[in-house]
Amino acid sequence: MLDYDVVVVGCGPAGSVTARYAAESGAKVLMIDRRPEIGVPVLCGEGVSQRIDSWNMLEGTQWIANKMDGAKIFSPDGTMVTLSKEMAGNETGYVLYRDLFDKELARQAGKAGAEIMLRTEATKLLMDNDEIKGIQARQFNETFDIETDIIVAADGVESKIASWAGMKTVLKPSDLETCAQYTITDVDYKSDYCEFYVGRKYAPGGYIWIFPKEKGTYNVGIGLLASLSSQGEPLKRLDKFIASHPQLKKGCPMRLLAGAVPVAKPIQSYRDNLLLVGDAARHADPITGGGITTSLQGGKIAGEIIGEAVDAQVFDADMLSQYEKQWKQDFGQKLLRNYVVKELMLDMDDKTLNLLADSVKDYKFEEFSTLSLVKALVSKHPTLLMKLTPLLQLSKKMNE
Amino acid sequence: MGKPSARVDESQCLSCGGCVSVCPQEAIVLRNLKAVVNKEKCTACEICIKTCPIGAIHLERM
Repeated sequence: MLDYDVVVVGCGPAGSVTARYAAESGAKVLMIDRRPEIGVPVLCGEGVSQRIDSWNMLEGTQWIANKMDGAKIFSPDGTMVTLSKEMAGNETGYVLYRDLFDKELARQAGKAGAEIMLRTEATKLLMDNDEIKGIQARQFNETFDIETDIIVAADGVESKIASWAGMKTVLKPSDLETCAQYTITDVDYKSDYCEFYVGRKYAPGGYIWIFPKEKGTYNVGIGLLASLSSQGEPLKRLDKFIASHPQLKKGCPMRLLAGAVPVAKPIQSYRDNLLLVGDAARHADPITGGGITTSLQGGKIAGEIIGEAVDAQVFDADMLSQYEKQWKQDFGQKLLRNYVVKELMLDMDDKTLNLLADSVKDYKFEEFSTLSLVKALVSKHPTLLMKLTPLLQLSKKMNE
Repeated sequence: MGKPSARVDESQCLSCGGCVSVCPQEAIVLRNLKAVVNKEKCTACEICIKTCPIGAIHLERM
């Protein structure tokens, strides 16, 4: 029978980074992915903060499509708020080729010693009474058992592993963004800014984005809160937006993709012999929907804790809880705060958003982040803070 | 007429997994990268239908 210290289910960014750091710590690691090709299909807007540079997790530049000049946020009446690289100390973000990005992260895991099996789907957990002993998987027509001490659920927003282990993972529709995106080429439009269009006029509970890829090519996408959506509404609204855009409507659509982004509070991310990482752990920013940076940060922590667990040959919840303790310290507070801001923003109608945008349209932002935007809004509207503080305290209590 | 349940048009599904993550009955799985509904478990609550970004899920009677 196959026997590993760790089996990582899913070769997205969170899974690959976990596998890499676990392997570097000396663990014997197997990564499985149900897809025949890592990174495909892409299910992502492909924007990421440039903070990833300082983490040295990727080599080369083939996974970078473009560097952003900043962000322009448009309120429903067209008022523009700009976060430019000049204001933000030159650090903004990249637009990625997510398929190549994912492959590079998986390659780093492989280089560190992790084995990779493609077209391999987890079919069930192997349990002995209540204890996880391994996982059953299927590759083509063969079904086989894999013995392992730790399973890492890196199987995305639709994670089944945690649910098999008895954890509650079903998302409320109000905690999920439902997304569609075109990649459009030959657009006669020159901007290296990311553009965001907010408000119910465009996308109830979400936003429309335009991300600049290579020359003349843009990712144009939409995310709607599932609780505010109806059958096929994201794609209909996106088509309407493009049809009314003077340049985009003349471009050539090369790719259509769908996506689902958790905008939830993080859930418990460990139990005996099991860790949850990435979207499966709901590690995505509830305001922006961005999940790459938190997946990389969380993956690294998970991999290192797994290394310690393998050294000590202790795989119980107590040992693995160190993972949760550390990610809560690193980015848990940010996710919780942004969840509260997301809830607050849901109550804002388009008129309010126009007023807010107008109040910060000349603001000099010091950082390319949602935090600097929230800080600016709060400085102009102290009553927002009065609404935020009690919500945040309540939310912290519920999370403890 | 039998009880209604959700059905995914597999030729339309882009495998985002959104419907899987919100189904309160956990009646949907991705199989071969396509969403598939377990009709026995489905209660026709229509949450998946509202969630699918491209409108690939419909209600049908068994």
